[in-house]
Amino acid sequence: MALLSRKGTLFMLFLFSIFLLSASASNGSGEEEEEEFWEELLLKPLPDRKVLSHFHFQNEAPLSDSFARHHHLFPKSIAQLVKKFHIKAMELSFTQGRWNYERWGGFDPISSHNAKPPGVELWAVFDVPPHQVDASWKDLTHALSGLFCASINFLESSTTYSAPKWTFQSALGSLRYGTLPREAVCTENLTPWLKLLPCRDKAGLSALMDRPSIYKSFYHSQRLHLTQAKTGADPKNSRVVLEQTLTVVLQPNILTGGTNYVSEAKMQPSWSLSSIFGRKINVERGLVTQLENLQSSTATFAANGTNLDDFGRNVGFELSVNPDRVLKEVEKSSSILYEYPIKVHKDSEQFDLGITWKHPVIWSTPHAPLYASRFLMGSGNERGAIAICMKSTESTQGLVAANYVDQRCNFQVNVLQIVPWYIKVYYHTLQLFVDEKPQVLTDFVERMRVSPSEDKVSPGLMELVLKLPCEVKSAVLNIEFDKGFLHIDEYPPDANQGFDIPSAIISFPDFNAGLQFSDNSISKTPMLSKLQERSPVISYTEVLLVPLTTPDFSMPYNVITITCTVFALYFGSLLNALRRRVGEEERCLNDKGNTQLFQFLHPKTQVT
Amino acid sequence: MEEISNFPLNPEPPEEESPQSQMHESTPDRKTMRTTKPGIKRLILSLTVLFSFIIGFPFLWKSIEIYRAPLPFDRIESFSSQLESDPLHFPCRFQAIFVGFDFSASRGLGPNDVAAAITRKMSQLNPNSSRCGNCIGGDYDVSVVIDSGSSCAQTEGSEAKCPLKCGEVVFGGKLSDEDFDEMLKRCLGNVGGGGKGYSVVVFNGDKEEGEVRAVVGKYRHAWVLGHVSEDEAVSRTAEIFARVFMNAGSEGNSIRSEFMPVGADGRIVLSFSLLNAEPQDWIYDWSFHEIDKTLLHPVIQALQPIANITVESQVLYYTPKSSFSYWDDIHGSHIFSTKDLPFFLNSNEWHLDTSVAAGGRSKVLQLVVYIPSAKECPLQLELPNGDLSKTNGFISPVIHLPSKFPYFIILAYFGILQMWGGVVVWNPESCVKDLESKDPDRRVISPQNLQKLFEVLMGQLRQLLGLKSDNLYVGQSGAYILLGSERGFTEWELDVLSGKHVCFNLHSCATTLGSLSRLVQSLPRMIIIDEIGKQVKFSLEAAKFAQSYASTGIYNASAVSSRQARSLVEDAFFHPSIMSISYYSFEHCFAIYSPFFLPVTMHVILAALREWKRYKQENRKYLAWKAKERIVS
Repeated sequence: MALLSRKGTLFMLFLFSIFLLSASASNGSGEEEEEEFWEELLLKPLPDRKVLSHFHFQNEAPLSDSFARHHHLFPKSIAQLVKKFHIKAMELSFTQGRWNYERWGGFDPISSHNAKPPGVELWAVFDVPPHQVDASWKDLTHALSGLFCASINFLESSTTYSAPKWTFQSALGSLRYGTLPREAVCTENLTPWLKLLPCRDKAGLSALMDRPSIYKSFYHSQRLHLTQAKTGADPKNSRVVLEQTLTVVLQPNILTGGTNYVSEAKMQPSWSLSSIFGRKINVERGLVTQLENLQSSTATFAANGTNLDDFGRNVGFELSVNPDRVLKEVEKSSSILYEYPIKVHKDSEQFDLGITWKHPVIWSTPHAPLYASRFLMGSGNERGAIAICMKSTESTQGLVAANYVDQRCNFQVNVLQIVPWYIKVYYHTLQLFVDEKPQVLTDFVERMRVSPSEDKVSPGLMELVLKLPCEVKSAVLNIEFDKGFLHIDEYPPDANQGFDIPSAIISFPDFNAGLQFSDNSISKTPMLSKLQERSPVISYTEVLLVPLTTPDFSMPYNVITITCTVFALYFGSLLNALRRRVGEEERCLNDKGNTQLFQFLHPKTQVT
Repeated sequence: MEEISNFPLNPEPPEEESPQSQMHESTPDRKTMRTTKPGIKRLILSLTVLFSFIIGFPFLWKSIEIYRAPLPFDRIESFSSQLESDPLHFPCRFQAIFVGFDFSASRGLGPNDVAAAITRKMSQLNPNSSRCGNCIGGDYDVSVVIDSGSSCAQTEGSEAKCPLKCGEVVFGGKLSDEDFDEMLKRCLGNVGGGGKGYSVVVFNGDKEEGEVRAVVGKYRHAWVLGHVSEDEAVSRTAEIFARVFMNAGSEGNSIRSEFMPVGADGRIVLSFSLLNAEPQDWIYDWSFHEIDKTLLHPVIQALQPIANITVESQVLYYTPKSSFSYWDDIHGSHIFSTKDLPFFLNSNEWHLDTSVAAGGRSKVLQLVVYIPSAKECPLQLELPNGDLSKTNGFISPVIHLPSKFPYFIILAYFGILQMWGGVVVWNPESCVKDLESKDPDRRVISPQNLQKLFEVLMGQLRQLLGLKSDNLYVGQSGAYILLGSERGFTEWELDVLSGKHVCFNLHSCATTLGSLSRLVQSLPRMIIIDEIGKQVKFSLEAAKFAQSYASTGIYNASAVSSRQARSLVEDAFFHPSIMSISYYSFEHCFAIYSPFFLPVTMHVILAALREWKRYKQENRKYLAWKAKERIVS
């Protein structure tokens, strides 16, 4: 089995439902303006017995005169934000947990788009003159903070955000990026997010969002993505697209089917919608006009000798509902998508898709070209070093095999590292180890952009464009830093916990995360087109926790008190010294001494 | 030191011993006398230190003092008390024209007597002349023109040309009310020359002409047609002046009449929401653009002097009301009684966001159209007297209100709703749900229905602004038809509104100033930055300007100044720095300074005391020696 899994048997299962609603209002000029809404759900079994469920809601509105004033489906509050702050594109994500790139994959659109660093991540592109960008960003953070009940307003301070240029494609100088790694994410953030949907969680797919199931998951990330899509040359025709996704990795409750398999433990757990979420899709409810459901799998049992064509019978699992459409991925992973439009299943009262496994199956998900991790080196409270370690995975090995003829096969890696100002990074100490040998930076670094941190003003930012050879085994970037001192009132509460360094972003622009399906002619739903969209592979590293020297917070009082006491002592003694009558005291002493001496020498005379 | 000086056996002479003392044989007892003057160097030193401490203390106190910009408390006080005792008054000019009356023949009254009678009557009708927005000093500037056909008389200073040059006026004629209104405007022109003068024309008709018709036009004119006696003519004229033109038909002098839902920055956001309580039954949509253009735009234009209004709309789904209704067989509908109205609003499910676009301190008025679910359709509102709410005056001439088409104005609970907006329940034409189709039933409210709906909503807006949504005013001496303007607000209504607006602004300015000064005085350790002081000063100045403009009848400038006064003082009150109450309390101060000052002051005071004591003691000794010397010599 282990051998088989190395061959890259991949098993994917998608359930995917669409919920389309459009509201139209004819303008005075007769021009048809439409707001549209879709909702879809994708379910995918993961190799480590977990299930990925990915909710995708898409809302579109034309950018016309009445935008941000009159809306039928599009959330008015978001439209007003777009209009007020001239937002060209924006993404806000709330994440709890860390995406496991090794087990859950890093080479598919889901992980590239929806695997986010823990806490809050926000980036926005503004359509304003460069000198107004910062002001717009500050206002936006406050507005979002109120809208989502989160402390996004902490991103207002110029020490928390920066302007990377190469990592995000749509940069052009007016992009701002900031993260809050320690933000706790919970239902109070989900509720305002749901409020942006036309039916909130009253109907449709969002009714599945059972709060306990979501919040006991291994990973959940709620995301809000705003873009402006141009449909024609005329800028008036552009549309604002609001994408809301919720990605959850869950452990399904195992349905004990009373199987006779000895290796029960090796079996993938069978599950259904109701066993994951504790709810079923209630078909009758909702504005549902069209709902699709996709399911995919690629199951090649090399051991059984089945070929791809008759997977339906021999894949080793059974689906409780027959799919409406089956899509095959052709390029990378040969995964299969089963589609279930809810419209078709309207006759049944409730829709509860389930999967039952028949044989134990082992497969692995495709990995990003390099598996990146980051760690701290050094000890003590004075200095340390950050190391970003990238190890090759089977994807790069595949690349080598493919380009064996070409001697100079290279691939590009972009690294973005942002450090807070109190981590004083020495950029000249940047070292690169390729295959564990130190290398000259200029051999591998194509471009580099550094904006050093400024104390209490801006964070340090380093962007690197690396060209690594395809046969690279590992690459390590190493950079040293000194730990700075903060002013006493700059420490956050619970300063002893340490300070977070935001995740580094590693992207691979030469690799396309999008999936290619065999049948391209068919109608595309927003999620399908999103899956097929060409986009670079992106992965995030861990958040680092740096302990800084924390002062004794009662120190100011102690200092004041001791200084005052010293001053008082000094002053008192000075005053005493000034007042002293040295001569008189000496005389007194002498008198006293004389008397005592006299008494001592002539005690009897005294008596007599 | 005392023990030193008290030392019994002191063989050597004291310090600063002069040779003179040694000359004397009788060396005095050191314990009781001394031959030299005691030195004062150390005493001076100790006292200097002590005094410099005492002198330095006020400086220290000053240096740790919290900066508080001086606020003109007395001016604030006098402003509020002045506004209390002598509210804002506007100049009033009224003109009464009596055509076909002969007061001098029947009663022996001249025009001045008639004017006095009208004034007296008006004072009776409008007893509390001290109300804000009233005429200056309760003095109604009434001018009277009496055109008896044969002769014409007028009060002195009256601007109307006598005789009335409206020869073509054919009273009792075939002119419609609108045309009559236009014609009066043409021929009377602007009474009061540029200012806002109001005029009432009373045409005495023949007896057989039937009932008396009293109409208030959409400009600043009203007319009474028909056979009326002289007394009735006077009382009707007075009533139109006092009740309609001055108070816009609203009774009473509650807070409500002074309340204006205008934000401190002079903006109102009208947020329209269409609530689909249960989209599974039916989903309604509206084409708001049309309404915005045709209906709302003129209204917004009309209200421009009072507030800057923006409009936005949204459609919401799954928004049930939060209270239950019951089925009533008699009416054939579900009934929701007015006493449950506060529970109609469902703040959990109705996410009528406050507008981001509003920003600042704009006022958001929520105007909500509620579409009930099939289960509770048709939903009707029961008034406290048991009737169904369908006799809404403002809309009754426009639509018939059969049971199929009930509109309810929900405007009951002033405290919540007046600040909030209004709700209209709109029942679909057919309450039968299409059970066959599983698809939701998507419909669009037809333009006709939408127009009717918006007329109701405009009525609500009028009520929110403190006007009557009725087109009929029933007074003591009869009913008056109020002509509606296509702009939603007639000119005289706008006059009343802007007067009220100024009053409300000044009143709230005074209240906020009062609370600010009380707050500042009650928290002695609150930092008040200069900006707040400036804002308060400018606000007071703007308020003064508003008052002076109002007294000269410049309504617009007065509205602008009053708005400025209010927004400045609100800015001051909500200034972010005002929240930063200094936690640098007295205890803190004591804790920081006591480790230094306690030991040091002890040293200094003790030193000074001891030196002083010693000096006195030594001096006494010296005096004793002096006395002894004198005796000896």
